Amino acid sequence: MPIQPVKRGDTVLEARGITKRFPGVVANDHIDFEIRAGEIHAILGENGAGKTTLMKILFGLLQPDEGEIYVHGEKVTFHSPLDAIHLGIGMVHQNRKLIPAHTVLENILLGHPKAGSIPDLKRTRDEIAELCDRYGFKIDLKAKVWQLSEGEKQVVEILKTLYRGARILILDEPTSSLAPPETEKLLESIRIMTGEDLALVPFITHKLPIVLTISERVTVLRRGKVTARLRTADATENSLAKEMVGREVIFRLEHVEVERGKPILEVEDLSALNDKGLVALKGVSFSVHEGEILGIAGVSGNGQQVLAEVLAGLRKAVSGRVLIDGINISRADSLERWKMGMGYIPSDRINVGSIGAQSLVENVLMNYYFDGAFSRWGIVDSQKTRKLTEGLISEYAIATPGPDSTAKSLSGGNLQKLILARVLSRKPRLIIANLPTQGLDVGATEFVQNKILEAKRQHAAILLISEDLEEVLSLSDRVAPIYEGEFMDIIPVDQARIEDIGAMMAGLKRKVAQP
Amino acid sequence: MKLGDYEVKLEKKVRVTGWEATTISLLAILIGLALVGLIFLQAGVNPLTGYRAIFSYAFVNKFGLPLTINRSVFILLCTCAFIVPMKAGLWNIGMAGQLYGGTLAAFGVALAFGAKDPQTPTLAPGIVIPLMMLGAILGGALIGSIPGFLKGRFNTNEIVVTMMLNSIGFWLIAFMIKEGGPFMGGGGEGQGFKLSESIFAPMVWGGTFTIPIALALAALLYFMFAKTTLGYQIKAFGLSPSAAKYSGISQQNVPLLVFMFGGLIAGLAGYHYFAAVPGVYKIPTNYGDFGDLSFYGIICGLISQGNPLAAIPFALLFGGLTNGGRFVQGQLQLGYGIDYALLGVLMITLVAFQFFYRNTIVWKKMEREK
Repeated sequence: MPIQPVKRGDTVLEARGITKRFPGVVANDHIDFEIRAGEIHAILGENGAGKTTLMKILFGLLQPDEGEIYVHGEKVTFHSPLDAIHLGIGMVHQNRKLIPAHTVLENILLGHPKAGSIPDLKRTRDEIAELCDRYGFKIDLKAKVWQLSEGEKQVVEILKTLYRGARILILDEPTSSLAPPETEKLLESIRIMTGEDLALVPFITHKLPIVLTISERVTVLRRGKVTARLRTADATENSLAKEMVGREVIFRLEHVEVERGKPILEVEDLSALNDKGLVALKGVSFSVHEGEILGIAGVSGNGQQVLAEVLAGLRKAVSGRVLIDGINISRADSLERWKMGMGYIPSDRINVGSIGAQSLVENVLMNYYFDGAFSRWGIVDSQKTRKLTEGLISEYAIATPGPDSTAKSLSGGNLQKLILARVLSRKPRLIIANLPTQGLDVGATEFVQNKILEAKRQHAAILLISEDLEEVLSLSDRVAPIYEGEFMDIIPVDQARIEDIGAMMAGLKRKVAQP
Repeated sequence: MKLGDYEVKLEKKVRVTGWEATTISLLAILIGLALVGLIFLQAGVNPLTGYRAIFSYAFVNKFGLPLTINRSVFILLCTCAFIVPMKAGLWNIGMAGQLYGGTLAAFGVALAFGAKDPQTPTLAPGIVIPLMMLGAILGGALIGSIPGFLKGRFNTNEIVVTMMLNSIGFWLIAFMIKEGGPFMGGGGEGQGFKLSESIFAPMVWGGTFTIPIALALAALLYFMFAKTTLGYQIKAFGLSPSAAKYSGISQQNVPLLVFMFGGLIAGLAGYHYFAAVPGVYKIPTNYGDFGDLSFYGIICGLISQGNPLAAIPFALLFGGLTNGGRFVQGQLQLGYGIDYALLGVLMITLVAFQFFYRNTIVWKKMEREK
């Protein structure tokens, strides 16, 4: 069946009674919805609500147990993604499936039917350049993918599906890893696309305001079922959150007042290089006190990651000093820092914060194997570790069949809970939390934020790195906007104006250097 | 896929029980043997006769069985030498070089005590044998420390380094035992000097004392990886180097440690075969064959999925088949290389059947469409 020309408002894709069962769970329970040309139809749901399963079914990666899919009114069966692609369905993955060492052009061409023989690069380049012009994408086709930002990689993914002739685009968390200006650009292109009668189906777990700005209709999933079908105009952030989570969500956190104690972490004139050998951190100085949260606000890639790694002892500083309790630990490795009471929550939960193939017990052991209380003569006290894990699972309400399940079986939110539980259970006096709520759904975000506040109440010194300005402002006592490896200022949060900080994050404004 | 009225589907498996793994392996072995049976048929030999000859020589015959056991212990030690770095995600392709290093060190110790000189009075086995073993493990560990150090410090490819060291070890031995070399044997026929009888390795229950040592070592490794913090750190490093780094596990020490440990065990394998197996007690002319034999440690480690206890039956099987295969080749006048063909096919089927460790085939009767 060829891809048919459609008019705005025509139903292009329809799902009826989609049901998919996995051992122990019904991931999708009789899901119905329809998608029209020229419309953005958001699918909203928490982690584990069945979004991923539904997405895979629509793209032919999974076959439903029950239910039917209609494309342009005709019943179809997808045996593989190829069938979906032939019908003009394109999928833009959240975990980019691109080859870093190849150019943008080569990546777009990869897997394209035309690439079977010797590709006519010149013509292809012209065609893709034309697509870029039409939808307002600015990208260097000759650039290697590893040089691109997350936003640009996403553009490559979108171009790839468009170049294959997709008319229905499934977008997985399209804005989750983008900086605000990149998000703006993407939304702009999305508007142009819908103007050309393409149908867009973003799947979203968080960043509810974006759902409200871009989409016309929303389908909300909870525990595998459709709980609401709304026109976005009739929805509010709170009503959507309520449908998603199943209860009221408080967006404003209460400020926790704790007496500020002595400085725990002191950083003096710290500089460091990133993986490419470029200076990514340029002489930052600050301190974090007992019972205080210092928030570092910045757009991704401005040196936050490097700062966190240097503080955690995972990356060498070029110059400067790091002190804990007044003791110079600049040369201490990460293990010594853990033993001194540091707790580090890494931004990369899957590759750094956990070991997917190992059990939850073994994952908890990641921060305990060096603890004399959990081993004797080098032999792990497995009963004690197990007990600890079971305790953490229940205290943090981690959804899992048990401590022997693997870490990779956990959803994103539950994995983050596990990491948080493991780190916080050590009662660290210094916590470095790098993007602790990134990619989490509303409920899990709220949980993580409350746990961080609880640690503050127990007089921990906390360094919070976040790309979500609202989160920084609501949790921190002081805010340090970071831009290109420098702190633009350090401001007590009650004196911080959101516009100023936004401007500083963009490098437009900075405090005049003090004598 | 559709087969008649049935739909055949592959499903991912979450876990494999020991029982399933055993069944799968046995099935793989049976199919491998059946395939090689075709070669026997083609050569005009009844496969049943062939296999009976192979297995009875390898596992029953009073001459064949000790040979099988000694070879199997050698393979088991090489398997353990492979498994330790494997758990850290690193490939030890250098058991040959490491066992050569261990062998040289062990015989060096013997030489230092004057073992080569026929005039030397009886040596004290209580001193020399432990020192020879110590030499073997230190020699193996020393060779192993090279790829380990380079990996940890400079992230050098360990496969290349260990492979190159195999050649270096091989020629080093050739140099030592050649005519005029320090380890030259009495007859000058390209083999090393023979140990004096006083320092022949002691026998336990009719076998060399290295047999219980090898079995205990396999059990010890199993325990280390299952229960100790050290084993935990090695496994964490192997499964996710970045997560291991995050947890404070040393990025430099783990590679060094696992390769030294692996080399140590390989060195012991060298001691076992050249200094403890009755009738050898020297570096023989064909020492290179044992370097080749050490590569069965890789396949054995992979088939047993890094479990040193599960490796024991596989080591026994491979040890027996190399031995029995060579025997029937002569006895039944089969073409050259039937033993290699047998082992090769078996390895392929064993590895191929690992597919079923991760997948199951599900048959489902389809409803007829009306």
